[in-house]
Amino acid sequence: MTRNHLLAGAMTLLSLLGTSAATAEPLVIYSPQGDERAVWIAERADAAGHDVTILTSGGGELFDRILAERANPQADVVLGLIDAAMATLKAEGLFQPYVPNWAEGLPEVYRDDTDRMVYKFWQTPVVIAYNSDMLAEEDAPTSWLELVEDRYAGKYVIGPTIWQTTKTYLIGMLLRFADESGEISDEGWDFMQSLYDNAIVVDSADAKTAAFVNKEAVIDLNWFGGVGRLADDVGYRAVMVDTEGGTPFIAEGIAIMEGTDQLDDAKAFVDWFGSAEFMSAYAARFGQVPVHPDAIAAAPDTVKRNATLLRPQPIDWDVVAPRVDGWIQRIELDIK
Amino acid sequence: MRPSGISRFPLVRSALLVVVVWCAASFIYAPIFSVLRFAFAPGGDIGLGAIGELAGSRRVRTAIVNTFVVTGLSIITVNVIGIFQVAVLEYLKVGGRGFLRFAYSTPLIFVSVAAATGYGFVYGQNGTLTKLLQSVWPALPNDWFTGTLAVVFAHTFLLTSFHFLFLRAAIRRVDYSTVEAARGLGASSMEAFVRVVLPVLLPTIFATTLLVTYKSLGSFAIPSVLGGRRFDMVTELILTLNSLRRPDMAAMLSIGLGLAVILCIAAMQYVERRGSYVGGSKTPVPIERIRIASPVVNLAVHAAAYAIAVIQLVPIALVVLFSFAPARSIATEVLPSSFTLQNYVTVFSQSTAFVPLKNSLLMGASATMAGLMISLFVVNLAHRHTNVGTTSLDLSFMAPWILPVPFIAIGLILTYDEPNLLVANRVLLGGFWILPIGYAVVSIPIMMRFLRAAFFSLDPALNEAAQSLGAPAFYRFLRVTVPLVLPVMILITGMTLNVILSEYSMSAFLFNVNNKPLSIALFEGARSANPEQAAINLVYISLIMAFSLGIITLADRYGLGGGK
Repeated sequence: MTRNHLLAGAMTLLSLLGTSAATAEPLVIYSPQGDERAVWIAERADAAGHDVTILTSGGGELFDRILAERANPQADVVLGLIDAAMATLKAEGLFQPYVPNWAEGLPEVYRDDTDRMVYKFWQTPVVIAYNSDMLAEEDAPTSWLELVEDRYAGKYVIGPTIWQTTKTYLIGMLLRFADESGEISDEGWDFMQSLYDNAIVVDSADAKTAAFVNKEAVIDLNWFGGVGRLADDVGYRAVMVDTEGGTPFIAEGIAIMEGTDQLDDAKAFVDWFGSAEFMSAYAARFGQVPVHPDAIAAAPDTVKRNATLLRPQPIDWDVVAPRVDGWIQRIELDIK
Repeated sequence: MRPSGISRFPLVRSALLVVVVWCAASFIYAPIFSVLRFAFAPGGDIGLGAIGELAGSRRVRTAIVNTFVVTGLSIITVNVIGIFQVAVLEYLKVGGRGFLRFAYSTPLIFVSVAAATGYGFVYGQNGTLTKLLQSVWPALPNDWFTGTLAVVFAHTFLLTSFHFLFLRAAIRRVDYSTVEAARGLGASSMEAFVRVVLPVLLPTIFATTLLVTYKSLGSFAIPSVLGGRRFDMVTELILTLNSLRRPDMAAMLSIGLGLAVILCIAAMQYVERRGSYVGGSKTPVPIERIRIASPVVNLAVHAAAYAIAVIQLVPIALVVLFSFAPARSIATEVLPSSFTLQNYVTVFSQSTAFVPLKNSLLMGASATMAGLMISLFVVNLAHRHTNVGTTSLDLSFMAPWILPVPFIAIGLILTYDEPNLLVANRVLLGGFWILPIGYAVVSIPIMMRFLRAAFFSLDPALNEAAQSLGAPAFYRFLRVTVPLVLPVMILITGMTLNVILSEYSMSAFLFNVNNKPLSIALFEGARSANPEQAAINLVYISLIMAFSLGIITLADRYGLGGGK
C-alpha cells in the first residue's frame, strides 16, 4: 500500500514536472458546462477537426481558478462564464482581443465593441416562477420589488451568493436603486436587508430543494432551465412571471486567454463554436437559447418562443463588474 | 560527545540542513509574514482599516459573540460531564465500569468532521434520534438540532477526551489517606470529593479547561456541519472573508483568533509551571473507589452515568449500523431492517467515492513522511548540538503549535497564490501539494515533542559501547539509535495519519479540484439529500473510526497514549 502511494506520489511529481514541457497539446478549454454538455461539445469539436480538452467545474470555482492561475495560465479558451465574471477577467487583463467571424449581426449588448475580447453566444433569463399548485396567479408577485412584502415572508429562497444565479438577481434588484455613477442608495440597502429577512436563506442546493419539498417555499428565483428542473424534481407545476421592470438576463461569453500558445487553433475554435450551425445544433439538443439572430432562425420553434418570452432588464455589465465584489461583500458581511 | 550518524557525512548533512532551513523559510516564516503584511499593510501603506471594517460587519460581530458564547458554555458543560465521568470511573463504585470506560473513551476516535457529520446524521432532519424524540414529543421541529444548542451539545460530548486522558491520570495520584481522613472526620463521599479530591485536581482541571477553550475557539467542522442557517463562528468567517476576496480582513481576523489562542496557551503554561508545586504525599495510598451510601444518590449517579454513555455511544452505533444498511433505508427507517456490504464495495470500487479516500491517504502519507524526516533531523541536531542556530531552528518548527490553523492556511494562500521565488516561481494555490504542505506544517510540532522525549530517554552508554566495539558512526545510527526510536516513529506516523484523515480546518482552506480530501467529501456529503451519498459518508466515518481505534490501541499498548 505504502509503496504504491510512494509510487503514485512520484508519478504525480513527474507529471507535474511534465506539464512544463512544450509538446503539441490539445487546446485547453475551461467551461462550466456540465458533464453531458461538455462531452457533447468535445465530440462535436473533434468531428469538426478541433483537438480540445474541456475542463469543467462550477462557474464560481472555475472563475476563482482562472484568477489563481493568472501567473501561469493553463487554459487557452474560456467559454460559458457569465457577463460579470467575463468582465472581471477581462478587467484583470487575462484575455486578448479577437473578433470572431460571427460577430457581425450580433446585437450590440452581446458584442464587445470597445475591447473586442468577449463575445456572448447564448442567454438565459433569471426569473421569478411560482408553484401554481400552491399559489394563485393573482397572488403571485408581479415584480422583484414585491418580494419584501409580508405576504411573501418565508415563501422564497435565497441561495448562496457564490451561485451565478443568486448573484445575478441580487445585482438586478440592487441596480434599481443605483444612481448614474453606479452607487446604490441607502434605500436600496434597506430593501436588500428586508429581502433577506423575508426569505429562507440556504447554503446548498439540497437545502433549497428541501424548502420546496416541505412546501414552505412556493416562489422560485432561478435561471430559466433551473425552474423546470426544480419543479420536476419536487413535483409541481411552475409558472414564470414576466415581471415589471424586466428580468435580468445573463449571457455566456467566449474569449481567448492572453497567455495562450496556440492562438491560431484558439481562433479557429472560437469561430466554429459561435457559428450559427453549431449554436442551432446545441439549441436543438439542449434547448438553450442562442443570441445570434441566424442561430435563433435555425433553432427549433420552442427555442424561438423562449427567446422572446420575457422582457429583459437593461444591465451594463462593464459598469457592474468592478462593483460586484463590494456589493456581495456588503450583503455577506452586513445583511445575511 | 562526538558527532555520529549522518553528521559524519558533512555534504549530506549540509544539503539536508539547507532543505530544512528552506522549508522553515518557505512554509512557516513566509506565510506568517504574508498574514501580517496583508493585515496591516494590504495596499503597501500601513493602516488598521481592516479592523474598522471587521468591527463594522454585523456578521463578523455576531460570529465573535457566537464563538465566545459557545466557548463559555462549552467550558462549563464539558467540565461538568468530564469531571463526572472521571468521578464515576475512578472515585465511585459504579457497576459496569469497563463498559462505561469504553463509552467515555469514544471521543478519542470520534473526532472533527467525522463526528460532526455523525451527529448531523442522527440528530438531523431525518435522523433516527430526531424521529425517536418526535415520537415522544411531536411538536419538535425537524431542524431542532441547530445553532448554539447543537454546537455546544456536540462540544459537550466530543471534547471530554482531555478529561478522559489527563484528569483520570491525575486522580490516580490523589493520596487516598487524605480522603479517608476527611471521611473519618464525618465528611460524606460527596464532601470529601469536593473538599479534598477536587483541590488536588484543580491544576489539571485548569489545564484541560484551557485545552477545551483552545479547541472551542478554533472549532470549525462542528459549527460548519451543525450550525445551520445564519450561524457562524470565527473560523468560518475567516474562510468566508477569504472567498469574498478580502484577504486583508481574513488575515486580521485570523490574527485576532491567534491572539486569543496564544493567550490561552500562555495561561496554560503558567498553570503547568505552578502545577508542579502541588504535590501529594511521598508515599501515597492508591485511591480506592467509594460505595455511595445513599440509595437515592446511588441510583441517580448510575442513571446519569449510563445516560451519558448512551448519548456518546448511540450516534456511533447508528453510524456503523447504517453503514451496513442499504442506502434506501437511510432517512426512511429508524433502524435498518436488512444489511449489506454494498456501501463498502461502492467506496472501494467506484472512482468518485474512492478518490477522496485515496487523496487523503496519499496526502497524509506524504505529509507524514516529510514531517517525520524534518522532525527527526531537527530534533537530532538540537539534541547533539545546543546552540543558537539549532535552538532557533527547533523553535521555528514549533511555532505552528501556537498559531491557529486558519492563520497558517491564510498565510500559505497569500504567499503562494502567485509565483514565488521560494518555490522556483511556481504557483502552489490550486495545485495538489499545497494541502499536504499545510498538513505537514501543523503536524511537525507534535512529532517533534514525541521524538524529543524519545531522544532524551536514549542511554548514551549504548552508543559509546557500540563505538568502543569499533562500529562506524552511520552504522551506529542505523543499528543503535534508529531501533530505539523506531517504535515512537511508527506510532507518531500512525497518529499523524489518523489526524490528517479527518482534518477539516486546513483542508477547507486549501483543497481544490485536484486534491479533494476525505474531510471535504464528508462535509459535502453531509449537505446532500441523496441517500447514496449519505451511505458513502457513513462508510467513510466507520473507516476513520476503525483506523483511529487501531492506532489508539497500539499507542495504549506502547504506553504513549496516556490512556491507562
